[in-house]
Amino acid sequence: MANVSGKAYALTCLCPIRKGQLDGIAYSDEVRYRLHNWGLLEQSPMAKVPQTYLCRYFVLNDVYYESLPGTEFGGTFFDFLSIFSDRFRRKALPKEDHLKSKYLVFSCNLHGDLDTYLRGMWQAISADIQTIWGFCYGFEKVNDADSFIAYIKKCQLNASLFFNGSNDDPLPEQLKALYVKQEFSRFAEQHQGMSAAQLQQAYQAFIQRIEPDNLARPSWQPGQTSLQLGG
Amino acid sequence: MSNIAGKAYAMNVITPIHSYMAWINKLIFWIALKMPSTLRGLITLSLIHYARWVIIGKKQFPHLDASQPREDLHYSYMLFFSNFNGSWAQYVDSFTFAIPSGLDLFWKWNIRYPRSVPLTPFHSYIQFNQIQTDHYYNAYPMAAANDIKSAKTVRAALLAFDAKFGATASAASVISAAASEPHTSPSPEQFLQHYNALLRSLQHDMGVMQPLPIISLADQAKGE
Repeated sequence: MANVSGKAYALTCLCPIRKGQLDGIAYSDEVRYRLHNWGLLEQSPMAKVPQTYLCRYFVLNDVYYESLPGTEFGGTFFDFLSIFSDRFRRKALPKEDHLKSKYLVFSCNLHGDLDTYLRGMWQAISADIQTIWGFCYGFEKVNDADSFIAYIKKCQLNASLFFNGSNDDPLPEQLKALYVKQEFSRFAEQHQGMSAAQLQQAYQAFIQRIEPDNLARPSWQPGQTSLQLGG
Repeated sequence: MSNIAGKAYAMNVITPIHSYMAWINKLIFWIALKMPSTLRGLITLSLIHYARWVIIGKKQFPHLDASQPREDLHYSYMLFFSNFNGSWAQYVDSFTFAIPSGLDLFWKWNIRYPRSVPLTPFHSYIQFNQIQTDHYYNAYPMAAANDIKSAKTVRAALLAFDAKFGATASAASVISAAASEPHTSPSPEQFLQHYNALLRSLQHDMGVMQPLPIISLADQAKGE
């Protein structure tokens, strides 16, 4: 399945937003406003969701009319026919499409299988989920992890191609590895030119401090933006 | 609007494609999936964390409720999502310069696609069809995709080194000494020799990460 690359999973869903207003503001704009407010928080709610590598939300208002010039299949053929009549030139114009609903798009790169991930997401941030998805068609039937999983799967679209340019390790392993890389790089820099005995002693203290095989701690935290928090 | 989360940039592009051409695109993606060597060009663009292409048939937009109007569209649509390091211009240009024919192969059948070369029409096409992200989350905003790959190498090498020459190795050798085997705890000189070898082997993977974003606001504005 193209949604999977090793143990990494590409979740894509388009959730149609209901038509209506909340205090004079269209539901789609309210969803967008609430998502923008997530960006003002010290930590995104998604930092609480286990195994999230990267994810994004946006509101798809409409599709675009391709008014810019371009090269496309059949273009030269219409160029030739337009010598005879203007209608061939007009026929070569793209057609105009408009969506009847606006969609909340949730695109997520995660580790592991989808059901486990969505269950963990519901358990971690169900209140946040409801504030965003509450304006979507069909979401009124969602009241627990199972119904949330079923709902997301109804909105899911399969990827045609998923490219993983990173790795597919579990997130705690990735974060621990980043912590170890950071600390060991500092250690190597700060302990240059030491005597062999001093270096060996310092190294042993260093390993005891960073515990490279302990994934729980010390490590970087999901979404950590500062080195002061945990390394 | 937030296309940036630390060192990562979120790009969303939606482009129309004739339904009958969408099948050709799906076939090309299927071949790329079955023959990973075709993605070698993408792998050289090591600034990418994850990228995906999704084709939505004109009748495949999710319909969840009887009260929701059904979409009535002329075209199918291709969605492209990418998570990459660097600025918008760096990313788009590196695609054009590194894999122009691969790029054309994936977008060739889309309506009014101008081809990846020359650059300016291609920039205009992507900018025209790009959608801004409302919320972008990155689990490791201080790290680039290369940091994540190299961090795995560093941790694995350090664990292997520590098992042989670290305190754990010394303790293990004391236990083995109790079992009347020769004591193999490394001398400081032996330790230094192997420690230096470890650093040499990790030269390309070491480096301190910083919390500062690498993209200026000016570059961000360029992508808007």
